[in-house]
Amino acid sequence: MYIELKNINKSYGGFKASDNVNFGIEKGKLVALLGPSGSGKTTILRMIAGLENPDSGEIIIDGRVVNAVPASERGIGFVFQSYALFRYMTVYDNIAFGLKVRRMNKAAINERVNGLIELIGLKGFGNRYPSQLSGGQRQRVAFARALAPNPQVLLLDEPFAAIDAKVRQELRKWLKDMIHQLGVTGIFVTHDQDEAIEVSDEIIVTNKGRVEQTGTPIDIYRHPATAFTSSFFGVTSELSDYMSFRSFDDIGEYDKAIVRPEFVKITKKNEFQKYKSSAVEGVVRDTQFRGNSIEVTVNCNNCTFSARRGLDEPAVEIGEKVDVFIYRIFVTHGDDVKLLKNNALREETVVI
Amino acid sequence: MTAENTEKTSPVISREGSTDIHAKTAGSKAVKIILITVSVLFLFVMLVMPLITVIYEAFRKGLVPYLEAISDPDTMSALLLTLEATVIAVVINTVFGLFAAWTISKFRFHGKKVLVTLIDLPVTVSPIIAGLIFVLTFGRQSVLYPFLESIDFMVVYAVPGIILATVFVTFPFISREILPVLDAQGTDEEEAAALMGAKGLTIFRKITLPHIKWALMYGIVLCAARAMGEFGAVSVLSGHLRGKTVTLPLQVEILFGDNKFMPAFAVSSILVVLAVVILIVRSIVEYIGKRRGEK
Repeated sequence: MYIELKNINKSYGGFKASDNVNFGIEKGKLVALLGPSGSGKTTILRMIAGLENPDSGEIIIDGRVVNAVPASERGIGFVFQSYALFRYMTVYDNIAFGLKVRRMNKAAINERVNGLIELIGLKGFGNRYPSQLSGGQRQRVAFARALAPNPQVLLLDEPFAAIDAKVRQELRKWLKDMIHQLGVTGIFVTHDQDEAIEVSDEIIVTNKGRVEQTGTPIDIYRHPATAFTSSFFGVTSELSDYMSFRSFDDIGEYDKAIVRPEFVKITKKNEFQKYKSSAVEGVVRDTQFRGNSIEVTVNCNNCTFSARRGLDEPAVEIGEKVDVFIYRIFVTHGDDVKLLKNNALREETVVI
Repeated sequence: MTAENTEKTSPVISREGSTDIHAKTAGSKAVKIILITVSVLFLFVMLVMPLITVIYEAFRKGLVPYLEAISDPDTMSALLLTLEATVIAVVINTVFGLFAAWTISKFRFHGKKVLVTLIDLPVTVSPIIAGLIFVLTFGRQSVLYPFLESIDFMVVYAVPGIILATVFVTFPFISREILPVLDAQGTDEEEAAALMGAKGLTIFRKITLPHIKWALMYGIVLCAARAMGEFGAVSVLSGHLRGKTVTLPLQVEILFGDNKFMPAFAVSSILVVLAVVILIVRSIVEYIGKRRGEK
């Protein structure tokens, strides 16, 4: 593990920002710290950077405990949410700042800064001030400035939050490629699950100061380990009484039954449905074109949830009676989550 | 149908809106003229007329008596003392103001609100009381007095007391000007610089100072203006030893008390000139600051 946090605790007054946080990050990985606002993700980032000190626990970077090492000597690049570009310096001077502080010789600084300006695609913008740049350009300058002193670790606090949707898409891909190309270890904070899934190699899910789960995006999506992760990821709806849907095991006491659209199959009455005997009748409440699919909201056994239908399937109408079959549900009890599969699927495998 | 409807109704709305605006502007024009007249009249009666009177009275007997009055040795020494106290007060309060504003805006600590309130204290306390506080702290009845006497350092009825009073009274001006600017800037830029390995002094010079430069200048100007005009606290601590512990405002009072009206006005005119110079400097600083800010 290149970066390791061991039993980190941090409180502000009575508020526990970090509650026994443990995780490790491998060298060269781009990791997302994902959680709702107030879940303590920025605090973790600031502690790794050395801008805050943990109340207890150890932060280890490259095998060295860095708790007592000041921020300026940790060799970490940091991109602030607001970019924090030096507003009275040009793009060139912003990027050169970290090198000048290190008393590098002028020619070397010049070469490095110009190289970085080219890398971020802002050639000819060296003499501009931050106020003369667009949001996306500022973000790239902040990125170049953080990378200039050759840090081994790059930390990014909500790097895409202040950028409009279209540029954000571009920058996400650009950032991912850039970090892998340079071989630095990156951690970025986000509250946007799509962003985390799309950009990161690994996701650390935080909630209320605790780490809920760590894993690859696909792993976390498919196998949420806690009640929080199961409802945080994907578009989720709750079923008030999952036993009213056919062919699920009764696991006794539970808090919530959660379905995602991809767990639900909706078929018209005259369409073929393999598991018709386990399907329940529902009424279509709404249909919504989603570009590559149609989102269908159904009301079924007093629950409302959505499913997707392909564009080439026959259209369903609002008010139409349809068959609803649920493949899987997540059932939570306390902090635990259980994946329940529809028994109809199991019967089939037995038959085969 | 609905599209047609909106097309029909929208011009009506805009016509109504425009008449409304006309009515409002007509009304606000009258208000504007009244308000401007009132302000100008008020300023003329309260400020311009007295200033003209001062200058007129000072020169009433001609230029030669005027020059004689202001070149009086006591007046010259009062001018020098005023400038000395002003310069020292500005220097001390600049250093203190920067430290205080920096501490308050960049760190979180207990008792921060108390500190902010304390900084404002000198403006809220009457200068006379401020003077008395120092008399009690450093005068004959003070526990510090034997020590001060042993090192032969007199505060009360001496120049250090005058400087002390001036510093106290002009205490908040600089920090008060810088604080909002520093607060608005936040700590991100400084943190970013620190992460890149910059030390405190470099961060201050390269990041903070360019940001607060104009607010600082403005604060210094205000502080200087207030320091020159200070009367109350200085009056209590001075002891009115002519040629030694008398500042310009005190000199004016002494002359006036001696029924020497023309010289009193002549000395006042020096203060008026100094004030006008400071106002001009202030306007220039404000103008440049604004232009830089827009850029």
